Formats: sequence, C-alpha cells, structure tokens
Amino acid sequence: MIIEQIIYKHAVETPEKTAVIVGAETVSYAKLWTKICQAASYFEKQDLAEGSRIILSANKEIKFLYSYFGAHMAGLVCVPIDSDTNIVRFQRIMDCSDPVMIVGSLKNRGDYQVIDFDEVTSEISSERKFPSEEEIADLLFTTGTTGLPKGIGLSFKNQWVAANQINIFVGNTADDIELLALPISHSFGLGRIRCVLQKGGTLVFVPGFASMKKFFGELERCKCTGFGMVPASWAYISKMSGDRIGQFSSQLKYIEIGSAAMPIIEKERLMSLLPNTRISMHYGLTEASRSTFISFHDNKNKLNTVGRSSPGVVVKIFDEYGQIIENGIEGEICVKGDHVCSCYWGQSKEDFAKDFYMDYFRTGDYGTIDEDGFISLKSRIKELINVGGKKVSPIEVEEVLNKLEGIKESACIGVYDPVYGEVVKAFVVGTLTPDDNERIKKSMMSLMESHKVPVYIEHILEIPKTHNGKIQRLLLQNM
Amino acid sequence: MDVQTKVIEIVANVCMTDVSNVTLESTIGDFPEWDSMGHLAILQQVEESLEINFDPEEMMDLEDVNDIVKAAEAKI
Repeated sequence: MIIEQIIYKHAVETPEKTAVIVGAETVSYAKLWTKICQAASYFEKQDLAEGSRIILSANKEIKFLYSYFGAHMAGLVCVPIDSDTNIVRFQRIMDCSDPVMIVGSLKNRGDYQVIDFDEVTSEISSERKFPSEEEIADLLFTTGTTGLPKGIGLSFKNQWVAANQINIFVGNTADDIELLALPISHSFGLGRIRCVLQKGGTLVFVPGFASMKKFFGELERCKCTGFGMVPASWAYISKMSGDRIGQFSSQLKYIEIGSAAMPIIEKERLMSLLPNTRISMHYGLTEASRSTFISFHDNKNKLNTVGRSSPGVVVKIFDEYGQIIENGIEGEICVKGDHVCSCYWGQSKEDFAKDFYMDYFRTGDYGTIDEDGFISLKSRIKELINVGGKKVSPIEVEEVLNKLEGIKESACIGVYDPVYGEVVKAFVVGTLTPDDNERIKKSMMSLMESHKVPVYIEHILEIPKTHNGKIQRLLLQNM
Repeated sequence: MDVQTKVIEIVANVCMTDVSNVTLESTIGDFPEWDSMGHLAILQQVEESLEINFDPEEMMDLEDVNDIVKAAEAKI
C-alpha cells in the first residue's frame, strides 16, 4: 500500500469527508483525489521520463498537495523545498537533483523558470496506475555535516511504514482533526500530512506558529484534536500565550513533539496543563523518521530519555567496530526498520552501505539503552545546531564568515537559548574586534537565512584544532 | 525618536527590508523573516529599546505594527 492508494480509497468510501481545511476553503477526499488526478494528467502531458525529479515549493497551500501527490501518480520524484531557500542552497539542490521542472513560488529562483501551482492541472486523461512501493517518492534535502545539502531518498514503502508506526504510537484515528502549523518542507511536517491522510482524518493548515491568534482561533473553530510541534514552538506558545493551551485540555487528544532538547520542567508543565492529552515525543532523523517514542504521561520517570523503539523498529547500540554492545554502555545509536531511507541521491550503493552496521542504519548519534529499553541521547556526532527546530550546519556559517574582510578563520557551535533551544555562537580569529560585531551580523543577514546568523560572536586568538586540523568544537563549548 | 518610528525601524531590521516597505498594517507573515522567530525578535527588541515589558496575555494580541505601537505607547 502507498499513501496515494489510501487517499483514493477514502475518496471512494468517504467522498464527502473533509480532508483539508485552509482558511475558508474546505476540500473533501473526493475533491482532493480529483485534483490529484488532474495534476497527474498535467505532468503526464509534459512527457517527462519516469523517475525524473521535480522541485516543489512546499508552502501550506492546498495546491501544493495536488501537485505533490499528482507528481507521484505521474511517476515523478518530488523534491519539496522551503519557498525561502537561499540561492546558494537552491543551486546545490538543483545540481544534485537535476530536476526537469520547478513548481510553486520561490523567493530565490535565480534565472530558472518556475511554473505556478495554478498551471498544474489538466483534464483527466487516463486510468490511474499507482507507483510501486519500492520506487523513490521523495528526495528530502537536509543540512549535511559538510554544509552541503544531502538528498535523502525515501521510497513509498519507507513513507507508508513510517506513517503507520507513528499512527500506532500516537493513536491517530479517522476522527482526528489536526492543526498543522509545522513547515512541510521537512520530514516532520510532511510526515504529519501522511499520518492524517493515511487514517482518513482532517488536516487544518495554518501558516505557522507566529500568529497565536490564528493558532488558537483555528484550534477552536475547527475543533482540532491534535497538533505537532517542536520544543521551540512550545517555548513560543508558552511565552506568547501563557497557560492558554490548558483551556483546550478536554479537546486535545494528542500532541506529537519533534526531537530536540526540551527541559524536563517544560515537559512537566505541558503535562500539568494537558493532563488527559497523549503527549508523545519522538527521536529520529530524516533518514529514519521517528525511530523512538516516549509518551510523557505514561513514562513520567523516564522524561530524560527519548523513549523506546517505535512500533516495528529495532534500535541497538553499536561500538566503533560495528558490534552490538550491552545495555548501559555508550555507543552509536543504530536503527533497523522499513522506514529507514532507501538511498542518498547520487551516492553509490557501496558508499550508502557504509552508513550501516549490518542492516542497522548508523544515526551518527551517541547514547545508551537502559534495562527497560529507554534510550538516552548523549551527544551528536554530526554537530548540527538546532535553532528552533531548523538545522544549521556550523560549516555553512563558517564558510560565509570566513569570506568577510578581517576574518581569518572561524568556528561555530550551538549554545543554549531558552526560546530557540539553541542559537549559533561564532568564534572568530582575525583583525576585527567586538565593536565590529553588529557589522558582521548585518553582513551575514544579507548572505544567509536569519536563524543561521550568529547571535553571539567571540574574538579569540586561535581556533582549537586536532593535529589533523579538525575543529575541536567540544573545547569551544567549554570556553 | 517616537515609538512608531522606532518600531518600524526594528521591524525593518529584523525583516531585512527597507523602512519604506514597513507600514502600520504590516503584520506577521508579510515578510519571510517575520515568522515566529522573527516575531519574538521584534518584540524583544521593542522591549529592550523602549525599556518596557509586555505581559503574555497582551503579547498574543500583538500581530501587526499598529498593535505593537499602541501597546508600547500605553506603557511609556
């Protein structure tokens, strides 16, 4: 089974059921399926080879869904990206994915031709054939450790299995109405779409968490039963609206929280405001979505862990020689399951195999498993900085910093921030002084997204490095 | 500098745009940078530069430049 098949099934069995609500617009499963088929017909008429990639700007508008699922039905591989993607990253994604078409609205499109979502429709021309489970459905570009975007290939099967596992744990049903404020250019938000549609529930799109009036307004108007968020979203909701979420305690059946550091005191506060809501937090990565889960209310004494293996997933800890090690000993967290990605785009099978110990995917994160199967995260090898749920490669920021006049070299780390979880701190070596910090930030603002710009800049004499020249970021954390 | 001018300057700075593009009606989502993180940055900078504090109950109602100006003026 694939997601498109289940949407078709819902369209046949419950055609009038509302699939998506966006503001005043309500789309039934029957209409959703018709629009998907019209989009598929449009793509088929373009005479594109099966397996060709198309880039889609993943905005929370209903037309994105038509093009996204329509492209799948036409045998294309979708590359959903944020509409604000900076031009450097966009170009790298273009180079790696070699798309045949770009659809949507992009802020930085360069000289490339971009087709509007409105154009992607055509009279339904033929009997629909569903793609096979093993085909690649999407390439999701994440921030790689080198700063270069990495295309993660997810098959229809990977996505179906992941949605199923999540629904089993979170407990979603066809009666659920989910408020979707998460960005949908990433694994978490796109995954929530699949989870709700798989069950035949209803999605309510809002642009984001920024407008609390809209967030609470839609929560109330549409009688939403759940939503997904990251810890930074909770920090924002809490700061902007105090305890207001507690007023929805009898309405909210579930909340899924993405993996990032969240102080236990905040977990307990959320639990006290929503005593009857199933509050689940996952640990995972785009390559292996939601590999573990914890339910806060059910595991009050394990809130400092990331939970246990998700249904259908096996998590083991390996040593540096690729051997499974016993409980309690720290090692690399490795994951086995059909949700694990199928490839890194452009990488050979041999190279992809290096990311595995046997058939366990190596997450690059270190941790332990206790006697009850609960996993504790200790450190991340990949050193990405998590600013309010948005991943930032320190190397990408350093590359930009190092091009500024007066900076000889730099190194970036993530430092704790009560609202964003982490923000970027830069250590710079060169001829500049703290008086230049505002100028440095302003220059950075014009070159990259604002969440990547260092909040703190410290001027030091030398960047600590290993004898191989690798930056010792742990030492910087303690400076 | 009056409150309105200061707030518009802060919004323009956070949203990486010229002050001429910011009006009293400018609101969350009008600029890509005015997302939740941008909104917090705007409110924090307004609080710091005008030496005031917004309460959580009133923060929820601050959505556009006009809301922020009015709330800030009431505290000065």
